[in-house]
Amino acid sequence: MTLHFAPPEPHHVPKDLIFDFDFFHMPHGITDPAEIWHDLRRRGVPPIFYTPRNGGHWVFLDYADIVEAYRDHGIFSTYQTPIPPIEPFPVVQPQGVDPPEHQIFRRLLAPMFTPIAVRDMADALRGRAALLIEDIARQKSCDLIEDFASRFPTATFLHLFGLPEARLEEFLRLANTFFRSTDPEERALNLSDIYQVLDGLFHEKMTRPGSDIASAIVSARDREGNSYAWQDILNCGFLLFVAGLDTVTNTMAYIWRYLAMTPSARHYFLENIDNQQAFSRGVEELLRINAVSNLFRRIAKDTHWRGVEFRRNDRIILPNTLANRDAKIFENPNEIDLNRAVNVHVTFGVGPHRCIGSHLAKTEIIVSLQEWLKRIPDFELDPARPPAGLFGGSVMGFTQLGLRWPSIQ
Amino acid sequence: MEVIVDLERCQGHARCEDICPEIFATDPIEGKCVIRQPQVSLALEPQVRLAIRNCPEGALRLRRSKDGAL
Repeated sequence: MTLHFAPPEPHHVPKDLIFDFDFFHMPHGITDPAEIWHDLRRRGVPPIFYTPRNGGHWVFLDYADIVEAYRDHGIFSTYQTPIPPIEPFPVVQPQGVDPPEHQIFRRLLAPMFTPIAVRDMADALRGRAALLIEDIARQKSCDLIEDFASRFPTATFLHLFGLPEARLEEFLRLANTFFRSTDPEERALNLSDIYQVLDGLFHEKMTRPGSDIASAIVSARDREGNSYAWQDILNCGFLLFVAGLDTVTNTMAYIWRYLAMTPSARHYFLENIDNQQAFSRGVEELLRINAVSNLFRRIAKDTHWRGVEFRRNDRIILPNTLANRDAKIFENPNEIDLNRAVNVHVTFGVGPHRCIGSHLAKTEIIVSLQEWLKRIPDFELDPARPPAGLFGGSVMGFTQLGLRWPSIQ
Repeated sequence: MEVIVDLERCQGHARCEDICPEIFATDPIEGKCVIRQPQVSLALEPQVRLAIRNCPEGALRLRRSKDGAL
């Protein structure tokens, strides 16, 4: 099947819905990449608007519209969505496939990511986090991202895939190039390296299966008893590799930055370190306020929706950070209330493509926070290495976050 | 009162289990909501109501028990 996605010419877009907005551009002087999104609301931009940047795409601002777009896959497809468009784009199972077909891989993966499955992993994850944090606590300062927030999710991936700790540096290098390189040649080479590594490890798991996710994927059979297509297996492995790294890394960067600046929040989590419900409530609020992902959708058919004309193949961005601070849904949306009683945030999305790794991600954050606060209860931003290297895009964050704790060690 | 879940809407966020584990659990296959005990006691009703309001899919609701008890 040949697919052709010409950049949409916005003849169908009325002038009053067009605004200039580049979600990769970080204006000078901002301290948080999410500010560019919240600035849209402050500027009074319409809740559904179109920008000609990055190939041209729509942006939804309101919680109700974002949630509806997540649910209505008949109009808002996840197939071939990158912004700016990349053609052809690998069909990443199950994220890049619409229901009902996405159920095939979704069902295969689901049992490995349920709350029950994640609870079984929690002790192992806690142990890995504790080891990394013990090393960090011996110093008086660190770069949270380099020393912990990028390492721990990668270590978690190794655990899920039954790979030895010794391969951590290799996978860190692969991930770092994947997320940060802007050189097209380097990116292409990196992508083929990742697929080659996955190919090798899936082959290994076929001959010597273990009790890990890679073995489960490779040995799974469909209803007719056949194994899955090798390319689908590779794409699924690729999704599991990339989806849980940058998202968790940058969520942690945001959370640790906030805690470094907010003694009362550190106090809340320390005080509730053994109170599972209060701890979890606080983490949900940090997840609400620090939603780093901006999801893409593609219009599946010409549609008149919410009074706006959409054309097939129009792209849309659903910024979770805006949904999560919609005053129509959340009381005092910009205030961080660790005891917030009602918190229907969409940091992991909603609907059929809700982030399958949400329970794993939450557990990674909870065990990290607990092990960190036990060893480093007080810390602050390190003026020598301030938050730097802000970046936008489908995942927002920083590349440097210096922390220090001179008074306690 | 009894609590019911619409499993078509439930996507396994497990927020209900976090908030009121006495009533809500999740299954080991899809990770969706399992109601351990549909009859909600007066003591647990506030927690159950909170869990319902925190479901991002709007998949939970309370209704009068079949025998008419509140």
